[in-house]
Amino acid sequence: MWIEKIVGDLGGKKRYRAYRERVRRLPEGYREAALALEHYLLNLGPSGDSTSLMAMLDDLADLLEQGVAAGTPLRDVVGTDPVAFVEEFMQNYGGGSWIRKERDRLARAIDRAETKEHR
Amino acid sequence: MGKQATEMLKGTLEGIVLALLAGRAAYGYEITAWLREQGFTDIAEGTIYALLIRAEQRGLVDVEKVPSEKGPPRKVYSLNAQGQDYLNEFWRTWSFLSERLEQLREGGR
Repeated sequence: MWIEKIVGDLGGKKRYRAYRERVRRLPEGYREAALALEHYLLNLGPSGDSTSLMAMLDDLADLLEQGVAAGTPLRDVVGTDPVAFVEEFMQNYGGGSWIRKERDRLARAIDRAETKEHR
Repeated sequence: MGKQATEMLKGTLEGIVLALLAGRAAYGYEITAWLREQGFTDIAEGTIYALLIRAEQRGLVDVEKVPSEKGPPRKVYSLNAQGQDYLNEFWRTWSFLSERLEQLREGGR
Protein backbone atom coordinates (compact mmCIF):
# COMPACT_ATOMS: atom_id res chain seq x y z
CA MET A 1 0.00 0.00 0.00
CA TRP A 2 1.26 3.50 -0.85
CA ILE A 3 1.09 4.68 2.74
CA GLU A 4 3.64 2.06 3.76
CA LYS A 5 6.09 3.51 1.25
CA ILE A 6 5.75 6.87 3.02
CA VAL A 7 5.76 5.49 6.54
CA GLY A 8 8.99 3.79 5.56
CA ASP A 9 11.03 1.86 8.10
CA LEU A 10 9.89 -1.25 9.93
CA GLY A 11 9.06 0.60 13.17
CA GLY A 12 6.92 3.08 11.26
CA LYS A 13 5.09 0.31 9.46
CA LYS A 14 4.37 -1.46 12.73
CA ARG A 15 3.05 1.75 14.22
CA TYR A 16 0.88 2.39 11.19
CA ARG A 17 -0.57 -1.13 11.34
CA ALA A 18 -1.33 -0.63 15.05
CA TYR A 19 -3.14 2.60 14.13
CA ARG A 20 -5.19 0.79 11.46
CA GLU A 21 -6.14 -1.82 14.02
CA ARG A 22 -7.33 0.87 16.45
CA VAL A 23 -9.48 2.40 13.73
CA ARG A 24 -10.88 -1.01 12.82
CA ARG A 25 -12.07 -1.49 16.40
CA LEU A 26 -14.02 1.80 16.50
CA PRO A 27 -17.83 1.59 16.21
CA GLU A 28 -19.13 2.01 12.68
CA GLY A 29 -19.92 5.75 12.56
CA TYR A 30 -16.69 6.70 14.28
CA ARG A 31 -14.75 4.34 12.02
CA GLU A 32 -16.17 5.95 8.91
CA ALA A 33 -15.30 9.37 10.27
CA ALA A 34 -11.75 8.20 11.06
CA LEU A 35 -11.26 7.07 7.47
CA ALA A 36 -12.60 10.35 6.11
CA LEU A 37 -10.36 12.40 8.43
CA GLU A 38 -7.35 10.24 7.60
CA HIS A 39 -8.02 10.72 3.90
CA TYR A 40 -7.97 14.49 4.33
CA LEU A 41 -4.93 14.46 6.62
CA LEU A 42 -2.88 12.22 4.33
CA ASN A 43 -3.64 14.37 1.32
CA LEU A 44 -3.10 17.78 2.89
CA GLY A 45 -1.01 16.95 5.96
CA PRO A 46 2.65 16.12 6.60
CA SER A 47 3.15 13.68 3.75
CA GLY A 48 6.90 14.31 3.58
CA ASP A 49 7.61 13.56 7.23
CA SER A 50 6.77 10.08 8.51
CA THR A 51 7.39 10.92 12.18
CA SER A 52 4.92 13.82 12.08
CA LEU A 53 2.51 11.72 10.06
CA MET A 54 2.47 8.88 12.58
CA ALA A 55 2.26 11.23 15.59
CA MET A 56 -0.72 12.86 13.91
CA LEU A 57 -2.53 9.59 13.21
CA ASP A 58 -1.88 8.31 16.75
CA ASP A 59 -3.30 11.53 18.19
CA LEU A 60 -6.34 11.21 15.94
CA ALA A 61 -6.91 7.66 17.18
CA ASP A 62 -6.55 8.86 20.81
CA LEU A 63 -9.18 11.54 20.26
CA LEU A 64 -11.66 9.17 18.62
CA GLU A 65 -11.17 6.39 21.19
CA GLN A 66 -11.73 8.89 23.99
CA GLY A 67 -14.87 10.13 22.28
CA VAL A 68 -16.22 6.59 22.05
CA ALA A 69 -15.32 5.83 25.68
CA ALA A 70 -17.09 8.99 26.88
CA GLY A 71 -20.13 8.29 24.69
CA THR A 72 -19.71 11.62 22.90
CA PRO A 73 -21.79 11.96 19.73
CA LEU A 74 -19.51 12.06 16.69
CA ARG A 75 -20.82 15.52 15.75
CA ASP A 76 -19.69 16.91 19.10
CA VAL A 77 -16.17 15.64 18.41
CA VAL A 78 -15.73 17.01 14.89
CA GLY A 79 -18.12 19.97 15.24
CA THR A 80 -20.44 21.61 12.76
CA ASP A 81 -17.47 22.48 10.56
CA PRO A 82 -15.24 19.38 10.25
CA VAL A 83 -12.86 21.18 7.88
CA ALA A 84 -12.17 23.88 10.48
CA PHE A 85 -11.49 21.15 13.03
CA VAL A 86 -9.19 19.12 10.78
CA GLU A 87 -7.21 22.20 9.70
CA GLU A 88 -6.77 23.24 13.33
CA PHE A 89 -5.66 19.71 14.16
CA MET A 90 -3.20 19.53 11.25
CA GLN A 91 -1.46 22.79 12.20
CA ASN A 92 0.21 20.97 15.08
CA TYR A 93 2.40 18.84 12.88
CA GLY A 94 5.42 19.63 10.79
CA GLY A 95 6.31 18.29 7.38
CA GLY A 96 5.24 19.41 3.96
CA SER A 97 2.34 18.73 1.69
CA TRP A 98 1.98 20.30 -1.72
CA ILE A 99 -0.15 23.08 -0.27
CA ARG A 100 2.34 23.88 2.49
CA LYS A 101 5.19 23.89 -0.03
CA GLU A 102 3.27 26.39 -2.12
CA ARG A 103 2.70 28.63 0.92
CA ASP A 104 6.42 28.52 1.79
CA ARG A 105 7.30 29.22 -1.82
CA LEU A 106 5.05 32.29 -1.85
CA ALA A 107 6.54 33.62 1.40
CA ARG A 108 10.11 33.17 0.07
CA ALA A 109 9.23 34.80 -3.24
CA ILE A 110 7.88 37.89 -1.45
CA ASP A 111 11.01 37.98 0.75
CA ARG A 112 13.15 38.00 -2.39
CA ALA A 113 10.97 40.61 -4.05
CA GLU A 114 11.25 42.82 -0.97
CA THR A 115 15.08 42.85 -1.19
CA LYS A 116 14.77 44.15 -4.76
CA GLU A 117 12.36 46.92 -3.84
CA HIS A 118 13.56 50.53 -4.40
CA ARG A 119 16.68 49.31 -6.09
CA MET B 1 -23.75 30.68 18.99
CA GLY B 2 -23.70 32.58 15.70
CA LYS B 3 -21.07 32.57 13.00
CA GLN B 4 -19.68 35.91 14.13
CA ALA B 5 -19.22 34.67 17.68
CA THR B 6 -17.46 31.54 16.37
CA GLU B 7 -15.08 33.64 14.27
CA MET B 8 -14.29 36.01 17.14
CA LEU B 9 -13.78 33.14 19.53
CA LYS B 10 -11.10 31.58 17.32
CA GLY B 11 -8.44 34.08 18.29
CA THR B 12 -9.19 33.97 21.99
CA LEU B 13 -9.92 30.29 22.54
CA GLU B 14 -6.33 29.44 23.39
CA GLY B 15 -6.25 32.13 26.08
CA ILE B 16 -9.59 30.97 27.45
CA VAL B 17 -8.39 27.39 27.75
CA LEU B 18 -5.08 28.39 29.37
CA ALA B 19 -6.96 30.63 31.82
CA LEU B 20 -9.13 27.65 32.73
CA LEU B 21 -6.06 25.49 33.27
CA ALA B 22 -4.55 28.18 35.49
CA GLY B 23 -7.44 27.56 37.88
CA ARG B 24 -7.08 23.81 37.95
CA ALA B 25 -5.78 20.84 35.98
CA ALA B 26 -8.27 19.27 33.57
CA TYR B 27 -8.57 16.82 30.72
CA GLY B 28 -9.90 17.71 27.28
CA TYR B 29 -13.48 16.65 27.73
CA GLU B 30 -13.89 18.60 30.99
CA ILE B 31 -12.76 21.76 29.25
CA THR B 32 -15.18 21.27 26.35
CA ALA B 33 -18.02 20.53 28.77
CA TRP B 34 -17.26 23.67 30.79
CA LEU B 35 -17.19 25.85 27.65
CA ARG B 36 -20.54 24.42 26.54
CA GLU B 37 -22.04 25.22 29.94
CA GLN B 38 -20.82 28.78 29.52
CA GLY B 39 -22.78 29.08 26.28
CA PHE B 40 -20.05 28.25 23.77
CA THR B 41 -22.29 25.56 22.34
CA ASP B 42 -20.59 25.20 18.95
CA ILE B 43 -17.20 24.25 20.35
CA ALA B 44 -16.09 20.87 19.02
CA GLU B 45 -14.22 18.57 21.35
CA GLY B 46 -11.71 17.96 18.56
CA THR B 47 -10.91 21.68 18.38
CA ILE B 48 -10.05 21.80 22.08
CA TYR B 49 -8.01 18.63 21.73
CA ALA B 50 -6.01 20.09 18.83
CA LEU B 51 -5.42 23.24 20.84
CA LEU B 52 -4.16 21.25 23.83
CA ILE B 53 -1.77 19.27 21.63
CA ARG B 54 -0.31 22.55 20.38
CA ALA B 55 -0.02 24.00 23.89
CA GLU B 56 1.79 20.83 24.93
CA GLN B 57 4.20 21.00 21.98
CA ARG B 58 4.97 24.63 22.79
CA GLY B 59 5.73 23.74 26.40
CA LEU B 60 2.90 25.81 27.90
CA VAL B 61 1.29 22.94 29.79
CA ASP B 62 2.40 19.89 31.73
CA VAL B 63 0.71 16.61 30.94
CA GLU B 64 0.02 13.65 33.14
CA LYS B 65 -1.48 10.42 31.84
CA VAL B 66 -4.17 9.15 34.17
CA PRO B 67 -5.71 5.69 33.64
CA SER B 68 -9.47 5.74 32.99
CA GLU B 69 -12.02 3.01 33.67
CA LYS B 70 -12.86 2.53 30.03
CA GLY B 71 -11.00 3.71 26.99
CA PRO B 72 -7.44 5.00 26.69
CA PRO B 73 -5.68 6.85 29.54
CA ARG B 74 -6.72 10.47 29.91
CA LYS B 75 -4.19 13.22 29.47
CA VAL B 76 -4.60 15.70 32.30
CA TYR B 77 -3.24 19.16 31.51
CA SER B 78 -1.99 21.80 33.91
CA LEU B 79 -0.50 25.22 33.26
CA ASN B 80 3.26 25.51 33.91
CA ALA B 81 5.43 28.62 34.45
CA GLN B 82 5.97 29.17 30.73
CA GLY B 83 2.23 28.85 30.18
CA GLN B 84 1.58 31.37 32.93
CA ASP B 85 3.89 33.87 31.19
CA TYR B 86 2.06 33.28 27.96
CA LEU B 87 -1.29 33.73 29.71
CA ASN B 88 -0.15 37.04 31.26
CA GLU B 89 0.77 38.22 27.77
CA PHE B 90 -2.66 37.11 26.53
CA TRP B 91 -4.42 39.18 29.21
CA ARG B 92 -2.32 42.25 28.37
CA THR B 93 -3.27 41.87 24.71
CA TRP B 94 -6.89 41.34 25.64
CA SER B 95 -6.97 44.49 27.79
CA PHE B 96 -5.50 46.53 24.95
CA LEU B 97 -8.00 45.15 22.46
CA SER B 98 -11.06 45.53 24.65
CA GLU B 99 -10.17 49.10 25.65
CA ARG B 100 -9.71 50.13 22.03
CA LEU B 101 -12.98 48.51 21.00
CA GLU B 102 -14.84 50.11 23.89
CA GLN B 103 -13.51 53.52 22.78
CA LEU B 104 -14.79 52.84 19.28
CA ARG B 105 -18.22 51.90 20.57
CA GLU B 106 -18.41 55.12 22.56
CA GLY B 107 -17.71 56.99 19.36
CA GLY B 108 -14.22 58.00 20.37
CA ARG B 109 -11.19 58.06 18.20
